[in-house]
Formats: sequence, C-alpha cells, structure tokens
Amino acid sequence: MPRMATTQTPEITSTRLIIGLEIHIELATRTKMFTRAPNVAHPSRYDSAPNTLVDPLVMALPGALPVMNRRAVEMSMKVGLALGCSIARRCRWDRKNYYYPDLPKGYQISQYDRPLCTDGAWELAGSGRRIGIIRAHLEEDTGKLGHELPGGLDYAGSLVDLNRAGTPLLEVVTAPDFTTADEVVQFAQELRDLCRYLRVTEGIMQKGHMRFEPNVNLALTLDDGREVRTPVVEVKNLNSFRSLKGAIEHEAIRQVEAWQADGRVMGRGMKATRGWDDVRLVTVLQREKEDAHDYRYFPDPDLVWVEVDEAWLARVREELVELPGSRAQRYVGPWGLARKDADQLLAEPDLSDFFEACVAAAGGAPAAAAAIAKLLLNVGMKHANERQKPLHLAGITPAQVAGLMALRDEGTVNAGSADALFGMLCDSDDEPRAAAERSGMVIVRDDRALDAWVDAALAANAQAADDLRAGKMAAMGRIMGHVMKSSGGTVDAKTVQARVMERVGKGA
Amino acid sequence: MAEPPSSLSSKDVAHVARLARLHLDDATVESYRTQLASVLTHIARLGQVDTSGVEPMAHPMDTVNRLDPDEPGPVLTLDQVLMNAPAREGDFIAVPKVLGGDSA
Repeated sequence: MPRMATTQTPEITSTRLIIGLEIHIELATRTKMFTRAPNVAHPSRYDSAPNTLVDPLVMALPGALPVMNRRAVEMSMKVGLALGCSIARRCRWDRKNYYYPDLPKGYQISQYDRPLCTDGAWELAGSGRRIGIIRAHLEEDTGKLGHELPGGLDYAGSLVDLNRAGTPLLEVVTAPDFTTADEVVQFAQELRDLCRYLRVTEGIMQKGHMRFEPNVNLALTLDDGREVRTPVVEVKNLNSFRSLKGAIEHEAIRQVEAWQADGRVMGRGMKATRGWDDVRLVTVLQREKEDAHDYRYFPDPDLVWVEVDEAWLARVREELVELPGSRAQRYVGPWGLARKDADQLLAEPDLSDFFEACVAAAGGAPAAAAAIAKLLLNVGMKHANERQKPLHLAGITPAQVAGLMALRDEGTVNAGSADALFGMLCDSDDEPRAAAERSGMVIVRDDRALDAWVDAALAANAQAADDLRAGKMAAMGRIMGHVMKSSGGTVDAKTVQARVMERVGKGA
Repeated sequence: MAEPPSSLSSKDVAHVARLARLHLDDATVESYRTQLASVLTHIARLGQVDTSGVEPMAHPMDTVNRLDPDEPGPVLTLDQVLMNAPAREGDFIAVPKVLGGDSA
C-alpha cells in the first residue's frame, strides 16, 4: 500500500558506523592489585581451585588495608608507552561504590579522573589508520559468579568464587575512531599481540584475559539532507573476536531498524547497555545498573598517590620490546622470509624471540634468516611437537641451531641428517659438529667408498639399473635408498645421483 | 561542585537508600530527609569558599608511592574463607541468584 506523503519519514541515503572500544586486560602479575594473594591471571595459577587465592583484603575483612602492586603499575606504563600515551606524573585511586556479591568491599578501586596513561594513538597495520587512545587506567577485577555446580548441575542461586577478585585490570579506552567491525577486530588483535609481546598477559581469550566493550552508533544521512545519529549502545563483556565482530554488525542493522521504528536519536539519557547472545547472534537489552553519578566516586583514603619520576619511567622504557608489527616488516623485508613463515614465527612471542636469537647466534646476517626460519618451522616444530613442548623449550639452544645450520650449509651433513641431528640436540648439550661426527652423520667425501656403495646398489637392483639406462628416472629412488642404507645416510644425495648416472652410462 | 539542592525529596532519599541496599519505611525516609538536607546545606556552605587554583586534596598525607614488590604472600584456607559465608555450596559462597552475570 502506498504511504501517505504527509506521514512519510525521510529515507536513509547512507549510514556510517561510529565505534569506540573499551578493553579490559587482566595483567599477569604474580599477585593481586592491592594485596599479595596470588593472581589467578598469572600462568602458575590458571587452574586454582575456587576461593583458594583469597586473603583478608580480598574478603574485605575489617582492618585489612590495600598496598599497591609495583609491577602492575609498571606493566600498565609499558602498555601505555607502547600505545604512545603520556604517563601521568601523579595519579590516584578512587572508589567506585556499588553492591554486588562478586565485590566484597562494596566498592571497586579504580582511577576516575586521574588515570595513569592518557592521549595516545595507534596506527593499524596495512591501512595505517590512526586510532586515538583516550586513556588507559588501572583498576581491580571482581570475583566470579557462577550458576553451575562442579559436574555441570544447575544451581538455583549464584555461586561466588573470589579468586579473580582483585586481579589487576588495565582498561584501555579508544576514541570513537572506528568505522567498521573489521577495523575494531584488527585493533583488538593488534592490542592483544602488543600485550603478549610486552609480557603483560598471555592473552588467552577463553580465560577472559581480555574483554571488549564496543560503544556503537550510526550517523544516518537522510534524503532531506539532514544527518541524524542513533543512540549510543554499549555492548558489555565480549570475550572473543567473533562476538566482538558479531555484536557490532548486529548493532549496525538493529539501530537502523530501531530508528525507523521510533525515530530516537543520540542524546542525554539515551545511551543503552546491551549484552551479546552467543547462540542467537543478537544483542539484547540489559537491565540498567547504576548511572555514573550513582557510583559516588571519591578518592580512596587508604591509598596514596602514585608519582612517576623520570628515572622510573626510564627503567620501564628499557623493558619495551620491538612489537610484532615492526618485526613483521623486518622479517618479510630485509630478512627475506615468506609472509606465511613470518606470520607463523610471530604468532608466539617466545617463538619469535627464539628465532631471532638463532639468527643472532648464526652471525646475524639477514641472508641466513630465511633458511633458519625454514629449519625451525619444518624440522624444529616437528621435534618440538614430538616432545609436546613449545620450540623454545624443546631443549635445543640458539647456538646449537646456528651450529647445525653451519654444518648443513658447508655440506658436512645432508638434509636427512640435519633433521635427525636437530632431534639429538634437543636432548643433549652437545656441540653440533661433535654430535654429527660421533653419530656418523658426516658426509663421506671418499670417492672409492662412494663408488663401492653405488656399484653394490646397482648390482643388487638390476631391474632398477636397467630402468635408469632406459631413462626411467623413477627407478633412482630404489638405488638411492640402497646407498643411503649402506652408507648410514652419510652421503650427499646430489653427489650420489650424479655418480649413479655416470655408472649406468648416462652421466652428463 | 554541584549546586546544593534547595530541598531534598523523599524520592531522592529512597534512591540513595536503594543504592545502599537499605530498606526504609516512610517515617524513616522523612526523618532521614530532613537530616540529610541539613547535612547537604552545611556542605553547600563549604562550597562557597573560593578554591579555584587549589589542587584537590585526595589524601591527608604527603606520602607517595607506597608500593610492594610483586611477591606472593599467604592466603586463607578454604574453611576460613567460607566460615562467615551466609551459605556454602561446595567450595563456593552461595548467594541468592543474581541475573546478568558478573558485575565487571
């Protein structure tokens, strides 16, 4: 049915997404933010039983007083510096007051108007798009509420586990500079990499080490020339890149429909909080908690100011490492690695560090890097997997890898022996050359010995020899196998092939 | 600083009581309303002092950087953690059902 012209709402001619992102990062300190009970976000405590990382402060028992964790402050400074932020000379702690069973004190200690890090920026790889960082501040995590008993039975009430209560949380807040869900996800992944390389978290998403909260709205251009903006929606507590992308993409559609239905635009009191339904793949309205002014922020009288002087800042600056984006450019640029190999090495900070240590041990020449990368990824990974360990902990040292490369490059061992030698070096501290000699892996350069092995192989495989004479090169495998077996693998395959062809009268 | 409220409504008192998880009956709300209003009036008087250019004092002491090294210390036993809990379910503190998940 045609609509009446008088009631027709303007048509939308284009839409533009406006997205800002808040990211909570659990810092992997050994102890909690304001007390020395162990931190569940530290790898040594990942699998702690419920309520076993709790002390009087975590429980908010009377008289317990908070003391800041120096390391948590330093880790936050590292992330802030890597994001190009200014580090505040003075910052302080505020109480955010609300009652919830996962918060025994009745308040969360956070930084309200004096955050540690401010005014940074991050350039996305590839596009070079600049994303403003408004602030990064420190706070403490809450406990966890569960609704399932061990064994999977539903529990009618809520079950409180205070292990996570007091874990240091770094909250990074970006400017609303994103225009697509993919950009947001790229930033989130790059931030995760950054944090992993700075060793402030292992960034395991399933463990909630990073949680995302996008603020999403749309600028709608209308056919009457106006631009209106839809109300901002904050989607809470997304802990996977998939849900982050899904929530933003869903909002991009839902907010258009909502505007068409109710015409509501951005403004005071219009902001809404939604959650992500991982099954139905939609965002759902959440019951409002307190408004910001209801939190009654005030400075925490139990904690003194943090002052950062030049000397402290300089010490923290020294801990900064080259970030994966810059490493990637070096790997595929001057070092000449294949993109796929570079990505594989960069996937784990420890692997990237180990690779670079191997290149350094081999003399640091960029030309050696690509071959070392291939050796580590093709041969090293296999031996590491067999030992069920990451490569950097498989037992072989960078010096041994460099020694092994040298033996292979000078033709002292062949490819098959290099593989076996890699495995041996994982289990011993031997010098590679000595190990190769002792194991009889050194290639025999004695022509008479070689001829004897080749002749024996041809005699024992008369059919294969005839095939070779007839030009059927597939028969070479049989002869090679025989020579490899009788020589114990101490021959160079190319030399043997040339020799065989000579003996069957097909030599070059 | 916000302007002092010319008067405090019963609704304001009920709202603050809800934030503090206090249950007040109507008579108590009225009694708190007058008391709180006089507190706010007094605080508003303090707000008349010109403090422009004065750094707000977050702490009475000049001490800064009371920081501990990141070395693990003692924890309570599970029984100690749970001994004052209103209810215990396995190794957890049991509370009435909270909707909407963790507050973090």
